[in-house]
Amino acid sequence: MDCIVTIEIGTGAIRVTAFDMNSSLLGSAKGSYPTFHARPDYSEQDPEQIFITMLYILKNFLNEKIHPQKHNIVSICFSSAMHSVLPIDKFGAPIGNAMVWSDNRAKIEAEDLKNSELGKSLYKVTGTPLHAMSPLNKITWLKNNDSERFKASKKFLSIKAYIIQQLTDEYVIDHSVASATGFLNIHQLRWEEEALKRAGITKQHLPELVSVLYSPKSLKKEYQTLLGLHDKIKIIVGSSDGCMATLGAGVWGDGKATITIEESGAVRVVGKEVIQDEQQRIFNYILTEGNYVTGGPTNNAGSTFEWYAKQFGDFTRDYELEECIENMILDAAKVSPGSEGLIFLPYLQGERAPMWNPNARGVYFGLNIKHELKHFVRATIEGVLFAFYSIGKTLQEHRGFKSLSANGTYASFPLLTQIIADIFNLPVHIKMNSGSDSVACGGFLLSATELGMYKSLDEAAQKVKLLANFHPDFHNHSIYMKHYEIFERLGVKLHDEFAAIARLQQDT
Amino acid sequence: MNQNVLKRDCKELHAFPHIIEFAYKKNNTIQFDSLKRETSEFLRFYYVIDGRFDWMIDNQHHILYPGDLAIIFPGQSFGGEKDLLDIGTVSWLQLEFRPNHSGTFELGKWTRLNEGECRNIIKILLINQTSILPMLKEAATLFQTISVELLKQEIGFTARINQTIDELFILIARQLSRQNNARRDFPKSFLKLEESLRADLSHHWTVEEMAAIVGLGITAFTEKVKNYSGFSPLNYLINIRISEAIKLLKRPDVNVTDIALDTGFYSSQHFATTFKKLTGYTPSEFRKKNITPTE
Repeated sequence: MDCIVTIEIGTGAIRVTAFDMNSSLLGSAKGSYPTFHARPDYSEQDPEQIFITMLYILKNFLNEKIHPQKHNIVSICFSSAMHSVLPIDKFGAPIGNAMVWSDNRAKIEAEDLKNSELGKSLYKVTGTPLHAMSPLNKITWLKNNDSERFKASKKFLSIKAYIIQQLTDEYVIDHSVASATGFLNIHQLRWEEEALKRAGITKQHLPELVSVLYSPKSLKKEYQTLLGLHDKIKIIVGSSDGCMATLGAGVWGDGKATITIEESGAVRVVGKEVIQDEQQRIFNYILTEGNYVTGGPTNNAGSTFEWYAKQFGDFTRDYELEECIENMILDAAKVSPGSEGLIFLPYLQGERAPMWNPNARGVYFGLNIKHELKHFVRATIEGVLFAFYSIGKTLQEHRGFKSLSANGTYASFPLLTQIIADIFNLPVHIKMNSGSDSVACGGFLLSATELGMYKSLDEAAQKVKLLANFHPDFHNHSIYMKHYEIFERLGVKLHDEFAAIARLQQDT
Repeated sequence: MNQNVLKRDCKELHAFPHIIEFAYKKNNTIQFDSLKRETSEFLRFYYVIDGRFDWMIDNQHHILYPGDLAIIFPGQSFGGEKDLLDIGTVSWLQLEFRPNHSGTFELGKWTRLNEGECRNIIKILLINQTSILPMLKEAATLFQTISVELLKQEIGFTARINQTIDELFILIARQLSRQNNARRDFPKSFLKLEESLRADLSHHWTVEEMAAIVGLGITAFTEKVKNYSGFSPLNYLINIRISEAIKLLKRPDVNVTDIALDTGFYSSQHFATTFKKLTGYTPSEFRKKNITPTE
């Protein structure tokens, strides 16, 4: 039986998934690797560890699930997290670890650029918000602060570009990952000269730009032998995980948006045009030529639930963290919408869209003598979801949507999905038999379209079976809106106090 | 409770060459320079029974209350914040604790802990480098037992004292592991483990040692690691070894045998076999074929 394999190089783990040609899941395997924080603002990963983890997981997966069944792999499609930077030397060897999306060391470079005329014009042509996450700012940081490493760097790769180079010897970067670097002119699909100049590099310092459907010539012989793969297999470089998840959630075309709740989260819409936001609050990334994924990311989603569970969860009966979070959500269900007037601003790790304020911090507001622990639980959940709503509202200023598709680890909790439906006052769909994640599913659809099984991505996206399980309750919606108004005003009003407290916290 | 301060070479400690000093002291008066700050070459445990003590350990200020235990490693400075011993009751034990000829620390012949357990306990002590274990109530009886046994010298006292010191080590190691609180925040404990492994990659780690760092029993540890990382503990370790080896292979100036030993393989043969199995290349082929000029 023919099959398609997807390889997702995520923030914390590699996930390998296989589908048969009817998009049914054949199996998947996962291997994780750590993120190192040598200093508070640093987030780094070891590129060789990612590579070896990928090889190991892929090899075992193929030997256990694919080869014994005599499945014939027709295509392998990659995807990866965005915004990583890995400098390599003249021999192609990495110089130190890769900086990943959450690395915040370039915040001053980002702030400088954001406040300049150059910044405004770069945001318009590149679509990438001027934030420390952007490789444009990360490489500028290297130039300004680590000139030795900067000078020794012959190229700056993304983690995926490195993995593909190791496997195939080709230095390539797909339009999708490139569109999140801050260097790509997303209208003309070429490197933007002004951005390169800002970072002090030329286009020779970046891999060759290719379409997400680009297929490198072949896997190196040694890896073909190791993995038991023949050279007819079509390798597809693929896109970023965010774009893939949007396709895999079946959200393609007008009137729909997707909401992803993992450690961090995002709200995204898809369209044929770039959305220009004067206030620079949203991103525009490319999936394939002419298909733009527009949206906004939040820093504080699952990570906030985990923080809450670790601090206040009940571990007395030998519970694991996951169980604690489940119990916490059960507790939240005992409280009515609005948490009886307790409001939570979830900005424990600063916030990206729509406020883009690294100084923002968490706040419980409206506490009275009758509030109990369970009110805190519910307020925490509602606060996180209000942050998603504020992104959705920003997007709706430009493009309306009538339904939502929810995915990610935390979207599978019915209480959360219902609260999303009520807050947005929109029906929320979740994927049927969600045995595979949306990123893997997107990889399958992209490969299948390239192999000619679907006429277009629009047609492919329609194949994702969605269930409209959650319908909004208008009464709850109006309660949430009364609380949301206060939530939104607090975020604006506390701007100066956020800056002041962040300064104090920096000093301690 | 009678008080005593026993130093090496006094007759009570004849049977215990490893004990440098033991005291169970009730301090009623403040005397200047009674606890001057100095660097010690021994391992010291100070246990507060009564009172409040202002101490400087390794240049950090700590305030200790009844039930708190201070650990001072060889080479760290220790003394009263005002160079004096505060009023109160405190018991302490100073032990010989030196690296052997191969550079690893040992407890000595007196202990009844087996070699593996000893190694684990020492590893936990050294990795955590924690100065204070607060509210370690179980330690009270142990210090008391040592004190009483030393004073009375009844039959079997040598065995009982050494046994009690063993118990003290076990208590401290378990408490240190538990502080890592793996259940509540496994990713954090796991990251700490990863850092410990990388800091000493040439060491031939055992699953027992790894589990001890995270503060879990072996079965729970193996299961959690598998769940969290997708690998068994030993395979995860091999991944780190190979990742580091790849980095070194890409630097033409390091020879393959050195790489093998530095990254924790038994021999260059063992390295070559494992490397080939994982990557499809022998180390030297890999080195030859994976240097790709960027121009």
